[in-house]
Amino acid sequence: MAFRLFKKAVVMVLREKKQFTVFCLMYTVLIFWTSFSIELIIESGGLGMASASFFIALGVGIFLSLLYGWIIVRRNSKIIATLKCIGWTNGDINSLVSGFILFTTILGFILVIEVLFHYAAIVGYLEAAAAALNGSTYDIAELPLVSLLPVVVTFIIFLSFQIIAILLANRKILKVRPIIALKRVGE
Amino acid sequence: MIEAIDLNKEYRRAGAIIRALADVNLTIKSGEFVIVQGPTGCGKSTLLNVLSGLDLPDSGRIIFDGENIARATEDRLSKIRRQKVGFVFQDFNLVPTLTAVENVMALLWPTVLREKEIENRAIAALRDVHLLERKDHYPVQLSGGEKQRCGLARAIVHRPRVILADEPTGNLDPESEKQVMDLLKQINKDMETTIIVVTHRASLNSYADKVVQMEKGAIIKIQ
Repeated sequence: MAFRLFKKAVVMVLREKKQFTVFCLMYTVLIFWTSFSIELIIESGGLGMASASFFIALGVGIFLSLLYGWIIVRRNSKIIATLKCIGWTNGDINSLVSGFILFTTILGFILVIEVLFHYAAIVGYLEAAAAALNGSTYDIAELPLVSLLPVVVTFIIFLSFQIIAILLANRKILKVRPIIALKRVGE
Repeated sequence: MIEAIDLNKEYRRAGAIIRALADVNLTIKSGEFVIVQGPTGCGKSTLLNVLSGLDLPDSGRIIFDGENIARATEDRLSKIRRQKVGFVFQDFNLVPTLTAVENVMALLWPTVLREKEIENRAIAALRDVHLLERKDHYPVQLSGGEKQRCGLARAIVHRPRVILADEPTGNLDPESEKQVMDLLKQINKDMETTIIVVTHRASLNSYADKVVQMEKGAIIKIQ
């Protein structure tokens, strides 16, 4: 049953095109940024700009996750109230909202993998071209790949942010009174 | 079916205490079509909210199918509503990202029924309200009357014992109002579903077996 609600959440979130696209792209940028920062920390030994970049990305990431959880409940409070009226429990609605939040992050992660391939290809092509112009040879080992570890670590970090966002959303769902479904617009 | 005993409910608004329900006693039998009527602010919507377990009375009891729901837990109330109550809202309250058939199906998603069974029931409910040809349309593509019929299909998809309608024709033109009220009457007859309609329109009284008149939180007449 929870899986069914998760599937329905995916369908519903994909139809919320504007909100979904904006947040999914923001997650993509943030996951890419955080992965890249972790890669730089590993290479540089964890000092300087790389660490600052990492912590800024984390701060923005957690803010964005909480904002997304808050927006979902806030914008859909009348729908949540209606679902409560027609017999959905708080747990059912939590499953749906968790689906909204998790799917957006997971898709952001999948997009990051795609972006990383393109990033490596574009940078590798430009560096190889520059090397050719300078008359030197380009070593493929110098290709600026973000390795798998930073991406996986970033995904785990963002997943834990989403769990916090889900907990926040769940608290807000509890506060939505079903009675507001019966209120008139503007009342 | 539903028995309200000595119901009292007060609200605080801008420092003043408003008595929304004052010693309300009401018995609604199974299969009855009841219209609760009165001027704005007379407590009729509060009565509907309390009878459905959406709001709790300050005192009194509500016996719903032999069970006092005035002190039931939220999860128990959700279960009762899912199994026995259908809701029709004035503003339709359809989910904009779901098609008509999905809006009807949504009520049954958190149940153990199979997807196909849920879909079949939703299609049957849409057929009952003559909206099957619009099943794949989104709410924004439906007229007010069609939206309300979709809301009605959602209210009957689980074959409830009672349908509660809060100003169901409040946002409709006269023709759609007649369609919706005729459908409610038909559901009342064919499925023996108890119908409770809250409205301020006296023109709908002809549909009712019982009209409950309210004023200042109290029932002043039952006819």
